[in-house]
Amino acid sequence: MSEYTSVTISKGRGGWGGPLTITPTAERPLIYSVTGGGIHPVAARIAELTGGQAFDGFKSSAPFDKIAVAVIDCGGTARIGVYPMKKVPTVDIHATSPAGPLASFIKEEIFVSGVGTADVVAQ
Amino acid sequence: MTSALSVTVEEQVLYSSTVTAVGEQVATFVEGHGILVFFGVDSPAELHDFSALHEASVATAGPRAGDVVELGGTRIPVLAVGSVVEANLLNLGHIDLKANGAAEADMPGDVNLPSDTLVVPAPGSTFRILRPAGPVASPEDPA
Repeated sequence: MSEYTSVTISKGRGGWGGPLTITPTAERPLIYSVTGGGIHPVAARIAELTGGQAFDGFKSSAPFDKIAVAVIDCGGTARIGVYPMKKVPTVDIHATSPAGPLASFIKEEIFVSGVGTADVVAQ
Repeated sequence: MTSALSVTVEEQVLYSSTVTAVGEQVATFVEGHGILVFFGVDSPAELHDFSALHEASVATAGPRAGDVVELGGTRIPVLAVGSVVEANLLNLGHIDLKANGAAEADMPGDVNLPSDTLVVPAPGSTFRILRPAGPVASPEDPA
């Protein structure tokens, strides 16, 4: 049995939204990194602090209902809205704000951007 | 004054790929929003609905303003390019083309094109990024 703990993820410089509190559960254990070059350091940090399982979305796929948080390196059009639309809390490492065809799904309660590893803090 | 000796180069192919699949929502994105999203074939399934998937045979650089994107044989000038475009293209095969006519990239992932220039690509069509033949003023040249 894993024990999970919570982190607070705040917007970084030029960012938008949040802060988000993320607590993985046995049902939603995945820290889902949809980023270039493997597991992003922000995703690795969230996994380290929470006990969640870092997962590379470009290596294999996972159902939305297993994802505790999605970490993206979205430039502001597509991924920025996909995960919020599916009610998955979303962390963009780039300093984006709601835009694109899916902008209406991007709310402060479910999305935070401009995030670096220092913006992920254990509770 | 080496910069006085302008060098003429032929048009370079910076990126070349073949479209392998076109998601159900691509037409809505293109016709409703003037946006065409590409992702590499290895991208997660949840991104496929609104994406043209493609497989690159040349992937050396992303576009900059003044380059040309060629989609299914149609050449479209690039007006502006955001700061993360090249990394996303080379790492993920991901690029967002926006036919918004804007001279500045609002979002770091934007590639701005003239308004009403995008069409829905057909599977099997070619996507290329071309850098026009020189002489080209290079910002890297010493003054």
